[in-house]
Amino acid sequence: MTTNVDVLVDRYLTDLDAELHDLPAIRRQEILDEVGEHIAAARATLDAETEAAIRTVLERLGDPADIAAEARDRFGVPARPADQATPWLEAVALVALVVPFLSLIGVVLVWLSRRWTARDKLIGTLGGIGWLVAPLGTIGVSAGGGGLGPVEVIVFVLPFVLPIAAAIYLAIRLRARAHAKAAPRTP
Amino acid sequence: MVPAKRESLITQMRRGTLEYCVLALLRDQARYGFDLVRTLGEADGLVTSEGTIYPLLSRLRRDGLVTTAWHESPSGPPRRYYELTPAGQEALELFTAEWDRFTNAVDRVLKQGERP
Repeated sequence: MTTNVDVLVDRYLTDLDAELHDLPAIRRQEILDEVGEHIAAARATLDAETEAAIRTVLERLGDPADIAAEARDRFGVPARPADQATPWLEAVALVALVVPFLSLIGVVLVWLSRRWTARDKLIGTLGGIGWLVAPLGTIGVSAGGGGLGPVEVIVFVLPFVLPIAAAIYLAIRLRARAHAKAAPRTP
Repeated sequence: MVPAKRESLITQMRRGTLEYCVLALLRDQARYGFDLVRTLGEADGLVTSEGTIYPLLSRLRRDGLVTTAWHESPSGPPRRYYELTPAGQEALELFTAEWDRFTNAVDRVLKQGERP
């Protein structure tokens, strides 16, 4: 039960973090911390931490997009017009990520993007450096004297699978965010 | 009045006054975010979603009207308390005086219109 509740809170804060991306870093962190503290204080007043009770707390806080809109307004950050535009940077980043010698460029581009959260970017980075394991895999296999055990196969296959898996994950996250923007969120 | 129009009227009135309501709540005591937000929420129509107070608090802090300090809490981890600065005090006094003058003037005109 507690796990479900934590997942809900975590998702809310992750959404808020992503929505606040175009604010100055200090303000973004400040708002994020304070909303986090608000949730913690609200949880402390609950008799039982049921999923429904936490949903009510989050609903009262409101849509992360509304909080971000208010923050932009208060700090004079222009509302973003380009949100529905084609994410070219992200598209190039995903392609680069799965090409062996371009993957590090892909990782840099992933971090430059404002459409992914920090967690998404970390997963992208792990996938991007997957290629670096390739030489290790080759060495491992040749050192193994030609014997192809399950460990060698995994080490050999991992560099190919990791970047592709990470790219697919990032693409899914990108789509999910675009949809969340296009359609009003239901609480 | 059309609901949408009524909504935007309230939004505009709220925009200019909410920050002074926050300052007023801090006049006599420091409060932590949750307490501040829930107290504001008790005043009908002032706050639509609680989370939108935090960007405002952040702005007030940047402008030096409030400051924050950590204090022990009776239960759980320490809490961040908001306090009024001298500049915040001054801004609140200025607003309070102007607000009285303004609402009086508007009230008088509204009532004049009522007279047969």
